[in-house]
Amino acid sequence: MEFPAALFPSYFTPGPPREEGGPAPVAGWGEHGQVLEAGPGRRQAQPAFVPRRGATGERWEAAEAAAVPVLLPSAGCWIPSPAPQDILYRSGLCRKLQAGKSGATLDFAKQLGHFFVDHPEDAFGSLGRLLHKNFYLGNAKLKRPARNSTIRMTALVEDINRLEARRGCPRQHLASRLRWFSHLCRDWLFEVPLGLLADCLHEELVQQWSNLLFDDSLTGGALAWLPSEDGKTSVGRLVHPGGQAMNHLYFQDVVLEELPHARGSPAQFELSGRIRQVAAARVDGQDFVGVRSDYHCGVWRVPGKTGAAPAPLQVIRTDVPASCLTVSPHLAGELSVCTQSGTVYLWSVETGLQQLRHDPQTMFFRDHSPWRWSDFTAHPRVLSCADRTGLQCLDARAPKRCHFDLFKVGEEAGCQQGERVVLPMYLGRAHPSQYLVTTQFSMYVLDERLPLVPVLKWAHMMKAPPLFAHLMPGKPGRSHKVLLGASRTQELLLLQYWDSFWGVSSGGSQSACQLAGTPQKLHSIAECLQHLPTQLPHHHHLVQQRLSAPAAGLAATLQEDGPCKSMLIFQLSEAGDVFCQRLIHKAAQPPAPPSRDEATTAPGSSPLFEAPASSPHGLGTVALWYRRWLRALSRAWREPPRHTWPPSLSQRRLFTRRDLEGPAGPSSLQKQMRQRLRQAMQEGSRIQCWEPLALQPPPLPQTLELAGGPDALSNRLTAAWAGDWDQWWEDRTSFSVAQRQRALRERRRRQKRAQGHRSLSASFTSSLTYQSELSELSDVGPSALSPGRTPILSQEGSPAAGGPPLRSHPPSPVPDEALLSSQSLRCRGIPKERRKTLRDYLSVWAEGPPEPPELPGSQASQLCFPSSQSQLSSASQPRRKRPRMGF
Amino acid sequence: SSNEHKLNFKKSKEACLSYIQDALLQKQWKRAAEFLTCYVESLEKDYSREHIGPSEMIWRIGTEILWHHSQSRMKEFNCFMEQIKTLGVKRYLKVCLEHVFHLLCNGQIDEAYQNLSLAESWRFGEQTAIQDKEIKLIQAYRGLLDYCSWSKQKKILLEHGEDGFEDLAVEQEMHSYFRKAAVNLKEIIKTPGVWDVFVKCYVDLLEFYGEHNEARQVLNEYAYNSKFPANPNAHVYLYQFLKRQSESKKSLISALKILHDIVPSHELMIDFNTMLQKSKKRKKRQLGLEVIFAALDYAGWKENAKAWSCLARQVKQIVISEKHLNWIKQEWNSRKDWWPDFHFSRYLAKRNWQENKSLSHDKALVAGILLGKDCKYFKYVSHKGCKARLKRFRMLKKFVTRHNPVYLRISG
Repeated sequence: MEFPAALFPSYFTPGPPREEGGPAPVAGWGEHGQVLEAGPGRRQAQPAFVPRRGATGERWEAAEAAAVPVLLPSAGCWIPSPAPQDILYRSGLCRKLQAGKSGATLDFAKQLGHFFVDHPEDAFGSLGRLLHKNFYLGNAKLKRPARNSTIRMTALVEDINRLEARRGCPRQHLASRLRWFSHLCRDWLFEVPLGLLADCLHEELVQQWSNLLFDDSLTGGALAWLPSEDGKTSVGRLVHPGGQAMNHLYFQDVVLEELPHARGSPAQFELSGRIRQVAAARVDGQDFVGVRSDYHCGVWRVPGKTGAAPAPLQVIRTDVPASCLTVSPHLAGELSVCTQSGTVYLWSVETGLQQLRHDPQTMFFRDHSPWRWSDFTAHPRVLSCADRTGLQCLDARAPKRCHFDLFKVGEEAGCQQGERVVLPMYLGRAHPSQYLVTTQFSMYVLDERLPLVPVLKWAHMMKAPPLFAHLMPGKPGRSHKVLLGASRTQELLLLQYWDSFWGVSSGGSQSACQLAGTPQKLHSIAECLQHLPTQLPHHHHLVQQRLSAPAAGLAATLQEDGPCKSMLIFQLSEAGDVFCQRLIHKAAQPPAPPSRDEATTAPGSSPLFEAPASSPHGLGTVALWYRRWLRALSRAWREPPRHTWPPSLSQRRLFTRRDLEGPAGPSSLQKQMRQRLRQAMQEGSRIQCWEPLALQPPPLPQTLELAGGPDALSNRLTAAWAGDWDQWWEDRTSFSVAQRQRALRERRRRQKRAQGHRSLSASFTSSLTYQSELSELSDVGPSALSPGRTPILSQEGSPAAGGPPLRSHPPSPVPDEALLSSQSLRCRGIPKERRKTLRDYLSVWAEGPPEPPELPGSQASQLCFPSSQSQLSSASQPRRKRPRMGF
Repeated sequence: SSNEHKLNFKKSKEACLSYIQDALLQKQWKRAAEFLTCYVESLEKDYSREHIGPSEMIWRIGTEILWHHSQSRMKEFNCFMEQIKTLGVKRYLKVCLEHVFHLLCNGQIDEAYQNLSLAESWRFGEQTAIQDKEIKLIQAYRGLLDYCSWSKQKKILLEHGEDGFEDLAVEQEMHSYFRKAAVNLKEIIKTPGVWDVFVKCYVDLLEFYGEHNEARQVLNEYAYNSKFPANPNAHVYLYQFLKRQSESKKSLISALKILHDIVPSHELMIDFNTMLQKSKKRKKRQLGLEVIFAALDYAGWKENAKAWSCLARQVKQIVISEKHLNWIKQEWNSRKDWWPDFHFSRYLAKRNWQENKSLSHDKALVAGILLGKDCKYFKYVSHKGCKARLKRFRMLKKFVTRHNPVYLRISG
């Protein structure tokens, strides 16, 4: 593309902006800006001039009086995001106090109260249970003995209510009882320390409030239109998020007939986060769709042929929320990603991520916003990156060395004070080197060949900053169209510009960029409310709430059907609704008599929904659509909310059925016990000791020499002499358990130190296994037996125990290498991530400190992995049926 | 109370403004005009301290309406502007400028000139920085109109001169236009900014009167003063001037070299490349290759047949002579990971073949040399070309096959 032979005159002053800023409601009207000589007029001696703004543009008129839904509302309720009145403090006194100030007061106390009421278990569960008996909520007077340990809460509640009634009254002494109570309880009543809870809540409130004021996570919009390959057939694909949490991605075929409507069922993907942005670009006949949620970005490829299925290509995860994802229009499978930590990546599906820049600071002056953006430029290796203060271009091949400033919020571009970049967009499809930058006040068109000086500037006068923009390039000789969209106010503005006009003075070469025609406001979703059939008041309210949800995306397409040209504009709301409106191109004609819509315009009164005579389809079709949409919506409401019962967790996946099953029948021990119980009841005697084998004299444990010191024997003998030999044995074994636990802990500590830092998930699992090791140990502790003892026990135990004869395969005391080799572990069905834990665990036993009893290796593995192979569990069955040591 | 009244008045003012805005954004000019007549009342009690006061709002809205209203005439517009000028003292110059712009766009050059002269002589209190800028712009535009008159006279004079008839009065008038224009134009191009039109006119004047040195100085200043924005046109004007002065190749090349450094994608790079290719110095020819490679990096040049033929010619030359293959290697090194997808995909082969045979021929040659005879682009195009029995493509195939080893040396 040639560079314009002459540009519109402008001053160039470096430095911060001088003009005082502020929203200016009409700043964009009535200005030509500058003029440029376009060479002598036709056959006239006089020169002709063209203005920067004010040239005639194309005429587009809305075909319908309001936007029409494209898709039926999906089932499931939409949960509206918080409104200002949910967060703000509304008190008469406070409003007066605040009248002078601009700051808003967040209703902190109310939110904290909500938390206590909604989550009492989390707020004061344990102490509530403990003190349950000591609080009395009745009206009656408390009796003497109870009064000592019980507080009558009724008075306290009355005091609270009274306080509520005269909120903000400074007469504090009336509330002395409350203060006394809070003073007494503040420190111990709450499950979560109150200070911590308050900090977290306050942080969240501030975050919610700033999101309400301006939510930049939606920047770019989550709606994309993929036209058909040749651009001629009237079928395209709409890519949009949906579902209750907006975490489902849909690729929906849409037929563009009179009213666009869905065809077939959409391709659907469930993602693990709310979809914030959907970006698309077409490279070599294929569409690449990038999807951004807070911590994940993904890319899909959609073949150009209609009906071809979209294929997910790659997903990346970020530690910090991503703020931008753009798809390269030059190279297939290339994207750029920015995170809120100030990092810019070039992401190629083939070669992965390349970090281009990491700078938590903003570029040109200090601004607190962590928002970053990045897009492509005319050079496929050069990326632009933006923050609130401006734009820079970086060469991906040498990002540190090669860069230049493209746009700066400053006097260079004639900015106002307080102006900030809201959305940059590469206009490559219209002109390879042009760029759109919107701020909350103006829109700029920049040419990267002439950085810092905007080739076009216009105050857009929108009430909310334009977070969405869409470009519809015009064919040569026709204007390009740009749509700007705001989120909260749902505003939509259509602009036209010429990237060049044919200047005669420049010898027929291209001349500078011009804004054409006047900006045009398009229908917003909320405006269609007045055209819907009358409903019950509460339904009306719900519909109104739904329709006025903030906009979340914008897409458009131009359609040429012979002489008839039309433009279709899709708008997505946060509730997941997609609405569409059609504009029809009117060929240049002499100024028409005042059109009808101009006649029907008392301010505030709604233009009646009458079918314009010019429109081929009138009230009928549109009204039908509205009715269908409403019906589907009310059906979605009527559907019972799915989570009225407390959420339950399926255990099936945690344990196998066999694990959950108890022993098939009552074990021999149980049988024995029952028998004894029955016998004792018949005899009317007592059971002094539950020891099953207490009837028989306990055999001398023969294995204790292993650990016993020189005086262990004398200890034992003394104990036996004194008659509490049992006690001695129990002490002995529990001592060794404690010793082993200590050893394990020590070992754990050593391991941790050796490994240094690990990933979060790794440390999570390891600490889990640590816990389970300990608990399992304490479970089996007393039953720790020497291998030599096992046969004796099985001999003594009832032979009807049904266990496999243990003698046939005596477990080896030390886990052998074969057991620990990963191959053998794998073939036993032990998941990979657990093998290491198992090996660690077993090696504790292998190298263990001098402990008397060694646990059989197979038994240990069974302890850790209840769901492991049958061979292992069958080998360890005697544990459950141990006749001797069941305490 | 009066306070409440003030508040209510403010509220109704705001409501009125939003109705106007709504009407304007929906192109309902008539409705907007009716509201505007109500809004004029807001001038009466102007307590606002916003940076756009009611008078400016009325000016902006009124202008916009009068531009588009079906029944508005120029006379009414002028009348409205005169009233507005008396209304807002602070924005007087701005309003004058906009009025002039509108007159100029409607071909009323003389009226515009009168307005400019009037505005220039306006003085009110102390001048602010913005007013200073505006007055300079007003002078510059007056200079521009003087220049237009000058060139008109010049044309007459030249036509008459051809007839062998000299008109002293015309000549004198022309000179006086020259003086007036030169003074004003010279003034504005001293301040940093984008002054393409003014610089061009001023240089034209100077050149006509033979003051080449000053013209050169002006252009050098415009191009190389670091306080000015990096405007490619400044370098283009300098280059064109040097060319007109038939300066040496060396100075032309150095002028274009700087343009290449700031805008590698400028359309003059083709001229630059041809100039460098003709040079006998090796370094210049190498620079030529660099220039054309750099230009083809840009998306806007993707299908530029001229550029591809330049590159194809130079690559062919280098391959035949078998000297300086390292030049190609050097350029290719930083591009080999993305040019194949960017330029030589199968999809592009298909499209280029359908749309422009000669472009696809040149691209296929370059692809064949750089990527070898097995690359998708070359294979597709040569196959299609041979199938269509085009001699050019058969030659191309032969050439690339013969020189296939080159590819290994370049990519190795």
